[in-house]
Amino acid sequence: MKHVKIKSKNLNVFYGEKQALFDVNLDLNEKEVTALIGPSGCGKSTFIRCINRMNDVIDICKISGTIEMDGVDINNKNLDVVSLRERVGMVFQKPNPFPKSIYDNISYGPKIHGKGETKSELDAIVENSLKKAALWEEVKDRLDEPGTSLSGGQQQRLCIARAISVNPEVILMDEPCSALDPIATAKIEELIDELKETYTIVIVTHSMAQAVRVSQKTGFFHLGKLIEVGKTEKIFKNPDNKMTQDYITGRFG
Amino acid sequence: MSNEHTVKSYEEELQHLTDSLIQMGSLTETQLNDSMDAVIKVDKESIDKIIQSDEKINKFRSKIDTQIMTLLVKRAPMAIDLRETISALKISQDLERIGDLSKSNAKKVKPLPLDLPEELLSNLKRLGDLVTKQLNDVLDSYVNKNYDKAKEVWKKDEQVDDLTFIAMNSVIDFLSKDKKNLDFSTHLIFVTKNLERAGDHITNIAEIICYLIKGEYLKGHRPKGKETEV
Amino acid sequence: MTKEQRLIKRHRAEKRFQFYGLLSIFIALLFVLVLVSNIFSKGSSAFMKTVIKTEVFYDQELLEIENGASRDDIISTDFFDVTIESLLEVFPTNGLEEEKQLINLFSTDVELEIKSVFLKNNNIIGQKIILELTASDDIDQLHKGNYPRDLPEERRRISDFQLKIFDQLVEDGKIKKNFNNYYFTKGDSRDPELAGIGGALVGSLYSILICLILSFPIAVLASIYLEEFAPKNKITEFIEININNLAAVPSIVYGLLALQILLSTIHLPRSTPLVAGITLALMTLPRIIIPCRASLKAVPPSIREGALAVGASKFQSVFHHVVPLALPGTLSGTIIGLAQALGETAPLILIGMVAFVVDIPASPIDPSASLPVQVYLWSESAERGFVEKTSATIMILLSFLIVMNFLAVYLRQKFEKRWN
Repeated sequence: MKHVKIKSKNLNVFYGEKQALFDVNLDLNEKEVTALIGPSGCGKSTFIRCINRMNDVIDICKISGTIEMDGVDINNKNLDVVSLRERVGMVFQKPNPFPKSIYDNISYGPKIHGKGETKSELDAIVENSLKKAALWEEVKDRLDEPGTSLSGGQQQRLCIARAISVNPEVILMDEPCSALDPIATAKIEELIDELKETYTIVIVTHSMAQAVRVSQKTGFFHLGKLIEVGKTEKIFKNPDNKMTQDYITGRFG
Repeated sequence: MSNEHTVKSYEEELQHLTDSLIQMGSLTETQLNDSMDAVIKVDKESIDKIIQSDEKINKFRSKIDTQIMTLLVKRAPMAIDLRETISALKISQDLERIGDLSKSNAKKVKPLPLDLPEELLSNLKRLGDLVTKQLNDVLDSYVNKNYDKAKEVWKKDEQVDDLTFIAMNSVIDFLSKDKKNLDFSTHLIFVTKNLERAGDHITNIAEIICYLIKGEYLKGHRPKGKETEV
Repeated sequence: MTKEQRLIKRHRAEKRFQFYGLLSIFIALLFVLVLVSNIFSKGSSAFMKTVIKTEVFYDQELLEIENGASRDDIISTDFFDVTIESLLEVFPTNGLEEEKQLINLFSTDVELEIKSVFLKNNNIIGQKIILELTASDDIDQLHKGNYPRDLPEERRRISDFQLKIFDQLVEDGKIKKNFNNYYFTKGDSRDPELAGIGGALVGSLYSILICLILSFPIAVLASIYLEEFAPKNKITEFIEININNLAAVPSIVYGLLALQILLSTIHLPRSTPLVAGITLALMTLPRIIIPCRASLKAVPPSIREGALAVGASKFQSVFHHVVPLALPGTLSGTIIGLAQALGETAPLILIGMVAFVVDIPASPIDPSASLPVQVYLWSESAERGFVEKTSATIMILLSFLIVMNFLAVYLRQKFEKRWN
């Protein structure tokens, strides 16, 4: 029985007048990959952006209900959002490395959180993160080159390494492979398989096949509601809800 | 399934698969019926026709195999669609075997005498009728996606076993009455056994249909009637 | 119309358009060429000055100092007599009028030139040394071919006698042209041959420096605040509209503003680079804010999100990531704004930089001229000698502007290459 890392209770999200999420109750288990699927605009990206409070930057976004991590409400006024984002990292749909060197990309996070004081400490963190992201061998001789000089797949792995560099507990991935070719995608999926031993991972994906391949638990969203959630194999072999079945077999729309 | 796939060709491909399977089932039903008729009436004229018809069933098997490969590679079917596809594969295998068994029975008619005992024939007929009915029912349950009907077929396998037992005893009686009957009896034993095996394949099909509809395997052992030890 | 006909029509239209484009470029280049060659032809001669080789006798009797005298002693000594004596040796004269005309062939500063030679080497008492003394502006212009010789004497600035001396000197090879160092080292002067842009150059440099120091930080910080931190409400909108409008305000209005507030109310010293710098800064502020804001806006939100996701605060994400990326656009906007400020004349006239300033300013609170104002002043003068100087100063100004614009383009390309 896995420990529940993140728990949303009656989560409702509003963008001004428009409601984006309706009463979402979802448990995310520790050291497991949970996939979120659903048609465009169904609220899955909104949901994961609540977990690291990226929605805070949107003025008109309002939240009711709670999200707890290890039992603590993350929307609590007293919780420092910067320290939350240290524990919950994010990888975006389009790779967005900083326009700095590869080394600086990785060392930025630890530096601002005071995690690497001396150069050798930072060197170790950079090497460690790049190794965990399966990128070290490819870039170890050119750490000074700009992050943007890498290929798309490498850039995305760089972003994953950047997320890992601050030693988070949770990694959120918003369609991480949608801009990548099949080979790069396969490398990232392999990476996710390894990372789940250490981190709790939530991945939003449009590819049904990918969700089946990488996740152990899947949640299906539609129009802001969580329609069904369960073990991935069950959801894709024999879902309980007809809407879920219609979506995954291509009977929607 | 009240709504259709967004991609029409996917919908059509699945429909074609089901249609092929139903057609194969009809052919197999006819084959089984005809071969049983030939046995009971000892009709040696119809043997060749039955043997030739088996070709058609095998052709269907190839066609269905190709359709399934295409579906798998093109569509990566999920959930119900996946179960449909894999079920079609398994059912077609069972139907082909039933066709083979029917052909085998037809061939066995050739050496049979025209004066077989009434009781023997009537027992064989009862067994044949039941198996034919089972096939009819199971194909019905596939067309209508009727879970209960399929489950009934699955349970009735017990009856098939019982009637096989009775028919087998008749044959053994016939054999023991006159040593001259050894040749025919051997054939009749095979005919009886083939019918029993056809029944097993039909029960297989029933299990597959239940899994297709509910997504769960039937629980428990297959109901078994009296064991025949031949 | 058939397909072929349509195709032909389209091709013709495209060729016509190409032609118009090339024609426009050609016409524009023609204008530039005419302008540049005009200025160049008028101004290039200003970089040379005419000198007359003269034998100067450092007569001890007339000087009353010794070899090895101290600097202070030399400066206080009167070299007038030595000068007059040496000059009168150049050509035989008859009477005071001719003597005056001979002396007028030379610049009024020759006494200082003779003195400064002695200052450099104070052991030349009793020696006769051949010096290249600066000629007067009339001789300078005559030698450069700007004075027509065929006018009757009353209508010429040079008398027949002076012409005779001039021709003789030319024949003897005693007249030549040297590089005009005075143009760069001296301040303004009544005598064209002694006038230089030294004062105006330093004045402009001080003004631009003060303008830069004041406007750049304020503009950049204001842009960052407006773009990244200000709430999107009516007040912010109001400020934005006003900043955009300020960029279009005629520069003379800033001059009036400076006149009233800086000079009349605060009583800052008139005609100084300090006031000029503040005025130019006010003018340049919106011109830096606008490209700076555009550069900030151009930074993709994915960069900000990436920084926030890794745990940076809003402040850190702006200053560590967004601002460095906006820097190339900001810098090129700043340099262009400064280039514009360098060429501003109207507001500087209003704050009094039209004064006649001879000395090169030692600090920003000394009165000075600026390059464009100097051009204006000289263009108003009667002497022929100022024409070439005006054009030469325009050449200097244009070179500065071209260099600054190239710098802006270079910087932008260099940074953008790094980013991409």
